[in-house]
Amino acid sequence: MSEHLLDVHVTKRFGNMTVLNDVRFHVDKNEFLVIVGPTSCGKTTLANIISGIDTAYDGTVQLQGQTVNPKVHNISYVFQEPSCIPWYTMLQDVTMGPIIKGMDPSRAEEIGRRCIKLVDMAGFENYYPRQLSGGMQQRVAIARAYATSPDLLVMDEPFGHLDAQTRYLMQIEIMRIWHEDKKTVVFITNNIEEAVYVGSRILVLSRLPATIKDEHIIDLPYPRDLTDAEFLRIREAITLQCEAVD
Amino acid sequence: MNKSRQRITNFLYNMLSLGVVMFLWYLLSNWQNSPYFPRLSEIWNAFVTLAQYGDIEGIFLSEHIWASLIRIFAGFAVACAIGIPLGLAMGLWPKLYYRTRSVIEPIRFIPPLAWIPIAIVFMVGFNRYVFLIWLGAFFPIFITTLLSVTRVNPVHVNVAKVFGASRMYIIRKIVLPSVLPDIATGMRVGLGVAWMCILAAEMIGGEMIGVGRLILKYAELLRMSEILVGMVIIGVIGFIMNEIFIMVENYVFRWRSEVSID
Ligand SMILES: Nc1ncnc2c1ncn2[C@@H]1O[C@H](COP(=O)(O)OP(=O)(O)O)[C@@H](O)[C@H]1O
Ligand SMILES: [Mg+2]
Repeated sequence: MSEHLLDVHVTKRFGNMTVLNDVRFHVDKNEFLVIVGPTSCGKTTLANIISGIDTAYDGTVQLQGQTVNPKVHNISYVFQEPSCIPWYTMLQDVTMGPIIKGMDPSRAEEIGRRCIKLVDMAGFENYYPRQLSGGMQQRVAIARAYATSPDLLVMDEPFGHLDAQTRYLMQIEIMRIWHEDKKTVVFITNNIEEAVYVGSRILVLSRLPATIKDEHIIDLPYPRDLTDAEFLRIREAITLQCEAVD
Repeated sequence: MNKSRQRITNFLYNMLSLGVVMFLWYLLSNWQNSPYFPRLSEIWNAFVTLAQYGDIEGIFLSEHIWASLIRIFAGFAVACAIGIPLGLAMGLWPKLYYRTRSVIEPIRFIPPLAWIPIAIVFMVGFNRYVFLIWLGAFFPIFITTLLSVTRVNPVHVNVAKVFGASRMYIIRKIVLPSVLPDIATGMRVGLGVAWMCILAAEMIGGEMIGVGRLILKYAELLRMSEILVGMVIIGVIGFIMNEIFIMVENYVFRWRSEVSID
């Protein structure tokens, strides 16, 4: 058994188009790993594979030494698209994971309410997604992901649909939550500044077919300063890598 | 606040539209001055007579309406009882649909009127009505149900899947709630078509009762006023049922229509 929490080594094709080409990396426990890459390079495809939704790939994805499987592992996934269930109130939505995993409803509700507080949405428990803004809905999705205390939390461009200001506030928020309740996170984004702001380690993906171009360990203390010289240097370096044509 | 004002405005405009139509009818009927273009007062008198004294056979208007309503609901209920489960099954297991398509699809395009001879030969009594109304209502219900299953948002399914949900859980908690509003729409359309089939059904039903029958009776006598009363009644009852259906839909699926707070 490997000493890593998650070991990934995959190739993925859609028909005869290779999307992920020998993508190989690992994730350690309680790490905040960021995967950054250009639009439609295969990030969502990768997220679907490591969360166990998509099983049609070549290679292996091992979580805790076993092939990843949502029925076995405790995984949470914050989707790129809005994913709140329209007919669930926020509380019903957030307690869905614990209930599927067999927790009794009153205990699930207790946890649900705690997670709603965690994302700063107390008071909205009985609201339907329709009544909430995009940013609020994304908080619900994050609360739902936390409610199962996942061993692996995958987030696929969770703030991609938000305006710049809300996005910035959510970045601060997600780091606060992560410090409050440490989880192993794989955070996917196409925004380099966001990557350097949140990541303890960053993997840079190439254009299609995606391979891992480089890895950066970010030693800067949290919360990070967007204008810090070292921050800007790393951001610049990754930007250059993303622009480079190879 | 704004909404209720909107509602009042809409109501007033609807009254105005009705008034305009009646006024045009009034002008045209005066200008035509023919027994085949009855005046509003004649139509009203026909209505009152039918309601109070019954038709040429002494059957009251309320009896006609009641008879038609029961037939419609019976045919509609059978259409729902078959169309919804079949649509769901074929949506969840599309192979079922793709392998029976050549049987199902052509039937859709055969008009209910074309089934009349078959209904006459193979069925008697109440079954004839139910069969013809069922034919009309079935396909809108079946097809909308079938299509709604294929339109379930895959992200919602994946939300449950990542938590390790069973297929049964996904069907019950994700697929069903997401298709119910579409099924309701299909039912509403089906109910409308059921009304459209009432005349065909009552043409062959054999009994002298029913709103469709009423129209046919007076058609033989070329009495336009009574025919118009029958037509308007079918239209108005269909309209009322549709409105009630929409109100129930809006209540049951209020998660769709809640106003946003931002
Ligand atoms: N189900 C699919 N079938 C065929 N091609 C797909 C499918 N899903 C994604 N792709 C293709 O794979 C590529 C990567 O998609 P995706 O992983 O969504 O990119 P990203 O999330 O990085 O924007 C795109 O070119 C997309 O068109
Ligand atoms: Mg994506």
